[in-house]
Amino acid sequence: MDNHFEDNEKVYRAVYPPEVADIFWKRDGSISSAAFADPRGLSVDRGNYRSEKAVIISMQKRFQGRIITLYSKHCKEAGAVLRYAPSKSNPYHSEIHGNASTPLLSKSQRRYLARKAAICY
Amino acid sequence: MIIAKQMDLRSNLKHYFDLAYNGEPVIVPRKNNHNVVILSEDEYNRLNQNKRVTQYLSLSANMDKDQDSLSVNKGNVKMHNLEKLNVIKGLSENWNGNGAPPFPESLTDKIAAFLDKLIIQPEIFPTALCTIQLEYDNSRRDHMEIEISDDDTAEVFIVNFDGSELTGTIPSTAEAINERAGAFYG
Repeated sequence: MDNHFEDNEKVYRAVYPPEVADIFWKRDGSISSAAFADPRGLSVDRGNYRSEKAVIISMQKRFQGRIITLYSKHCKEAGAVLRYAPSKSNPYHSEIHGNASTPLLSKSQRRYLARKAAICY
Repeated sequence: MIIAKQMDLRSNLKHYFDLAYNGEPVIVPRKNNHNVVILSEDEYNRLNQNKRVTQYLSLSANMDKDQDSLSVNKGNVKMHNLEKLNVIKGLSENWNGNGAPPFPESLTDKIAAFLDKLIIQPEIFPTALCTIQLEYDNSRRDHMEIEISDDDTAEVFIVNFDGSELTGTIPSTAEAINERAGAFYG
């Protein structure tokens, strides 16, 4: 794995806080763009073409809560930047940044990604 | 919607998949009316979301069967918002798993005061920027966010149904939010 993400690679986002994960769900069943605001960049796990079940099992070792998914192409369409940022405990860790120099996504990018996100767990 | 016979589908699979991907559902007739429809994943997700909306509306209708308008229902939404605000008040350091700070009482008190005065109740959401986002969605499918912080101004972001966007600021007061929300629904 490197910094290259194919358009059809999925990324997965754990929606914190797990004990009240529904705090970001709107009445229409979609997720609020507020869940995509993070001044340090939005942490995700890259799918690397693993099965969704395998990704969920892997994430649940670290986190109990809702998980949403996006395609890499959605980040590109939003003008956001996907960065591969593996850690010792998580070789799939990546981040979505607003642009090359700003980790925070713009309001427009947050809204776009929220519209594209699908709930997978 | 396009109808494709199974034989055509087999010999032009990519063509029909491309049509479905680009938003044109393809229906494939089968014996005994056991038809199938090919949809893009985006369309499938949208339909699933609509299904959840319908379930929600049905649930809401049951909850509010003796109430016949959004304005009458305002009390329930306000109560829900105040309960949610209490949850937001209780969020501790690092609540987003990435270092987000807890919300200052000055901000949650300000939001509570707003909720008391708002004519149209929004949906409220915390952000890791130590702000609280008020969201409104109207029947035209326009979407408005008002981001409230401890500052004297609030940020407004609108995405219209056609995708056009507007941003701006308003005074961070219930009166200004009421005025903005009134214009949004007007």
